[in-house]
Amino acid sequence: MLLEVEGLCVNYGHIEAIRDITFGVEEGTVTTLIGANGAGKTTTLKTLSGLRKVRAGKVIFDGTDITDMSPEKRVKMGLSQSPEGRGVFPGMTVRENLDMGGFVRRDKAGLAADLDRVMALFPRLNERISQVAGTMSGGEQQMLAIGRALMARPRVVLLDEPSMGLAPKLIQQIFAIIKEINEQGTTVLLVEQNAAQALKAADQAHVLETGELVRSGTGAELAGDDSVRAAYLGGDL
Amino acid sequence: MAKDSSETKVKKDRRGFGEKYAAAPTPVKVVAVTLLLVLVYALPLLRPPILTTNSIDFGTVMFRVIAFALVALGLNIVIGYAGLLDLGYVGFYAIGAYTTAVLTVYHYSWPFFLALPAAIVVTMISGVLLGAPTLRVRGDYLAIVTLGFGEIIRITVQNVEWVGASAGIKDIPHPTGIGAKPNPPFDQGGLFQVPRLQWDGFVPIVDLEHKTSFLAFGSRDAVPYYWLILTFLLLILIGDRMIKASRVGRAWEATREDEDAAELMGVPTFKYKLMAFALGAAIGGMSGSFYASSQAGYINPQSFPLLLSMLFVATVVVGGSGNRWGAIAGGALVAYLPERFRDFADYRLLAFGLALTVLAVWRPEGLFPPRRTRRAKAAEAEIDALEEGTENEEVTHA
Repeated sequence: MLLEVEGLCVNYGHIEAIRDITFGVEEGTVTTLIGANGAGKTTTLKTLSGLRKVRAGKVIFDGTDITDMSPEKRVKMGLSQSPEGRGVFPGMTVRENLDMGGFVRRDKAGLAADLDRVMALFPRLNERISQVAGTMSGGEQQMLAIGRALMARPRVVLLDEPSMGLAPKLIQQIFAIIKEINEQGTTVLLVEQNAAQALKAADQAHVLETGELVRSGTGAELAGDDSVRAAYLGGDL
Repeated sequence: MAKDSSETKVKKDRRGFGEKYAAAPTPVKVVAVTLLLVLVYALPLLRPPILTTNSIDFGTVMFRVIAFALVALGLNIVIGYAGLLDLGYVGFYAIGAYTTAVLTVYHYSWPFFLALPAAIVVTMISGVLLGAPTLRVRGDYLAIVTLGFGEIIRITVQNVEWVGASAGIKDIPHPTGIGAKPNPPFDQGGLFQVPRLQWDGFVPIVDLEHKTSFLAFGSRDAVPYYWLILTFLLLILIGDRMIKASRVGRAWEATREDEDAAELMGVPTFKYKLMAFALGAAIGGMSGSFYASSQAGYINPQSFPLLLSMLFVATVVVGGSGNRWGAIAGGALVAYLPERFRDFADYRLLAFGLALTVLAVWRPEGLFPPRRTRRAKAAEAEIDALEEGTENEEVTHA
């Protein structure tokens, strides 16, 4: 397992946001966490990146316990995240945003290579390289957020609802890119409300409900599961 | 294609003064900068009509202008770069002034040029001490905590005998000059002497009676102090430019724009905020140190009212938060206008308030907004133009 979560509990004050969740992310796979609004998906990702304090449980990355490690060190170890919504730096240009993605790195040659890689993945960003991020469309901002996360050259990239607020055509495109990123060797942990797409893309899938993991399996298994279909895939529609 | 060309056109129009300057050939730059520097240094001696104040010594006003510009430059790091609203900046100014006063006269008798770095270090440490516990809170809370800090400093010095209590500290020595006569008013001698201009209407006359001594700091002539603080301002300006262009500057920008996203990029935001706070404090302390040892050589708790903090924030906002040149212009304006309006006597502050209001309405983004503010404005226009356009590929979510 590249990333292991053991008995993780996170609180916001007295409210338990996530309770005793355990799952793993196998190297080279796409793993997804699906669930409704407020199920604790974003909290889980923020905790994995070190932005939230853990009440109990452990996070292990590549054999190292990173539960109390600073976000900075986690990025350096190869764990980076594309945040929820439009988490780009709105006043910076596309290029400046991408440079921020490589903030912890000092290897100029490697950064240049990764910039080329991101440009190849997202030709749209190349066209808009000097445009201010806040002026781009939702889809472009999402691409930028993913591209920026890749600039850290992560071993596992955490994607928080990349399809949120996008038109169906764009969602397809984003998922195709996620697949490509994975095929290039980056492990992906994907958090989604769009269960249909996420399950299709995922090797492993977990369902979060009010802070607890209620179901796990391969993407295909969960896509075929009646209760999952009823709750997240709109029944038989 | 057509769209692309229209975009570059917009960009051209958006080009700031800085970018135009950067495009100029090197010899032009050297000449322009040299001329500008000579002009700025000579300003209190040239005493240009209209600009010159009548009822108060122009050199003194110019010293104040630069002191405010220095403060603005420091506070601009805190507010403009790191996005931390510090409403108690006067506290650092006071700490710098009092450290200097205590070290040079009240308890010790260090020379000014030793007390100055000490004051900078002490204010930097006080910045870290205030920042370490408070920079973990965000936004409004920080404003309130810093507001309290400014008042705590003032009330503390008012009540502590060790720093002179409400009587303040007097006879703070002037900076040590070179070749200055060692007896009051100390401003005779110096390395050499420079005459000033006297204006008869718009006709300049060289005034050989009143000469300014270079590097002699006395109680009559403010111009040597102006030169001294201006030199430090320029040094800070160079440092500011370097740090803004560095990794640190980028980390500040990211933190200000989206703190969580910055953390996700591996920016230790707390560390960088603390650094901005401490650097800003140090520059405020430096300015306070100059203030303490200026001509009057006297400080008391009333020299550091809460209002001064507000004026400091005004310098940054008026100038265009985040732009060093804006900060300097804002500082200069906030210091200069009340002196210029002295002819209005009791209505002086009213006129000053009106001027600030007019400015706020006329240029809400400040006199010289930074590139990002100009970008945001242009972006707004662009989005408005696109509103009914073809780019509506996203489903609007509530």
